[in-house]
Amino acid sequence: MSSDGPMLEVSEMAFSYSDEGTLKNIDFEIMPGEFVALMGPNGSGKTTMMRCINKINKPSGGTIKIDSEDIMELSMGEIARICTTVPADTAVDFSLSVRDYVALGRSPFIKTIWWEDEKDEELVNDAMWRMGIAHYANRRLHELSSGERARVLLAKGLVQTPKVILVDEPSAHLDIKFKVQIMEILRNLSRQGLTVLIASHDINLLTRFCDRILLLSKGHILKYGTPEEVVTEESIQEVFDIRVKVVVEEGTVYVLPTGSTRFGVDGPLN
Amino acid sequence: MVDDALKLQEEVMGKVVGVKTIRRRARAIVILGLLSVLLLYIYSLTMGIYPVSFTEALDQLVVIFQTGGDPDSMSGIVILHQRMPRSLAVIAVGAGLAVAGAVMQALIHNPLVDPYVTGVSSGASFGVMLVTLSGLVTTSFATLWLVPVAGIIGALVAFTVTMVVAEAAGGKAMSYVLGGTIIGLGLSAGTTLIMSFSADKMHSVTAWMFGSFANIEWSEALIVVLFVFCILFVILAFARNLNMMLLGEDQARYLGLDSRKFKRNMLMLVAVMSAFCVCFCGVIGFVGLIVPHLCRMVVGGDNRVLLPTSAIIGSVVLLIADVFCRSFTVGELPIGAIISVIGVPFFIYLMVKEGKRYVI
Repeated sequence: MSSDGPMLEVSEMAFSYSDEGTLKNIDFEIMPGEFVALMGPNGSGKTTMMRCINKINKPSGGTIKIDSEDIMELSMGEIARICTTVPADTAVDFSLSVRDYVALGRSPFIKTIWWEDEKDEELVNDAMWRMGIAHYANRRLHELSSGERARVLLAKGLVQTPKVILVDEPSAHLDIKFKVQIMEILRNLSRQGLTVLIASHDINLLTRFCDRILLLSKGHILKYGTPEEVVTEESIQEVFDIRVKVVVEEGTVYVLPTGSTRFGVDGPLN
Repeated sequence: MVDDALKLQEEVMGKVVGVKTIRRRARAIVILGLLSVLLLYIYSLTMGIYPVSFTEALDQLVVIFQTGGDPDSMSGIVILHQRMPRSLAVIAVGAGLAVAGAVMQALIHNPLVDPYVTGVSSGASFGVMLVTLSGLVTTSFATLWLVPVAGIIGALVAFTVTMVVAEAAGGKAMSYVLGGTIIGLGLSAGTTLIMSFSADKMHSVTAWMFGSFANIEWSEALIVVLFVFCILFVILAFARNLNMMLLGEDQARYLGLDSRKFKRNMLMLVAVMSAFCVCFCGVIGFVGLIVPHLCRMVVGGDNRVLLPTSAIIGSVVLLIADVFCRSFTVGELPIGAIISVIGVPFFIYLMVKEGKRYVI
């Protein structure tokens, strides 16, 4: 149990999976309570990286430590107790109520065969209240809007009482208000001490809310630092292969795509 | 201000259906369900060609228990040797198939999945057909055992082949469905082909395929009850893990469950349980497909409530159908068909009523 060291420590990590989704020389640290973004184009290895951190993928080299513990030494259950993964959305819900769904987050902790105890119940109720979904607790998941469902997914992550929370594309299908809302929630959680790692394509939201940005390109880390350091016209152009304009407005970095992919002009379609 | 906020929070949280309520509901369902199964069981003892009244059936049950299985009247003998084992097997098969169906639907995330989807029923039919046509089965007692044994072996062989194919194809849930369907198709085609060459023996095989509890005796009933209920309780113990599987294999792993191993073990348990359900009384449809839906519409998708409910409703539905089959003096009706005739209108009613709310 260290409180001063990094919460997440990845060193010399490599992963290969039949040429695609390879990662190499991955080295970075995230301090407790930091809100860090994984940025990079499709196929740059964002999801692969997250799946290495929660041990779904087994890295071919290097080490990953969560709170100073090597994840290879931990069981899936032990990892689930310190690190939670919030999926993009859940398609199937099998007529579960919102409460039932959130309560599933307690699974790694439940010792009895079947039922949650009072402490579990308290955590579930608390998480639903904090995420503003307590009103819908008895409704079924598919009866909620996308924005509400995103908060249900977060609530399920919170009842896992994690130290690290991995969020994969939380806002892909949300409207602009709910995109901002999710980012605000995640930033508040990080200010309360949770370490948050988010993968997303919303560059402008990441630059506005995250403490640090990890820019991935073709399976390796191109840059890791504050939004101002990482998000420059050169780096974005290099990684995403499109011309952009970067403006700084009241201390926040914004990226405007001004270039063209010239698809249909230089290449196919005609 | 702070007080108001707390009051609001208390008010909202008070309306949440929490674990206490869920447990209370589950308990009520199980107690009421077991009572109705017991009542139906006693009622089923009155049904058949030899007339027995409800009170007489009760009296005879008491006599049978007091004398340790030595009734003094004709009705007692009929009840003890024919009707008790038969209805007991009906309860076990109903519960087993319904739970098997609920588990398959939870694992595979597909509303059209039933316990037979991994090739179990086609394999069993193929085995029974082979052993019937081989001429080994005569009227002597010893050879009658060949039919269920061939059924179980056929079912398990078919499932094993399905599993090997599915695991080779990546082990996804859908690999099991596709593998089982295609192997089932192959086996059914084989059954049809071979049977078309020996039309004279077709009747006994088709009768088995329709399903019937007419020839169940104590020894058979006890085997079915023992195996089905043992496996059923094992499955029930994993109801919470099944809930995790509802979220999909990846998300179940995020929660610390080794979902691939769990899925494979569950599929094996379900296959063995279904094999024991079909081996003595043939392939009975509907229960494994529709009863889980029916229960899910009413009690929701939490397997801790759904599985016991399915077991009870499966027993009840199959008991009612069997009673109905027996109540005709001209001869027995095929229970598989009867159960669908009774069940379909009721299911349509529920489907329309719950349609918008129900998603699987």
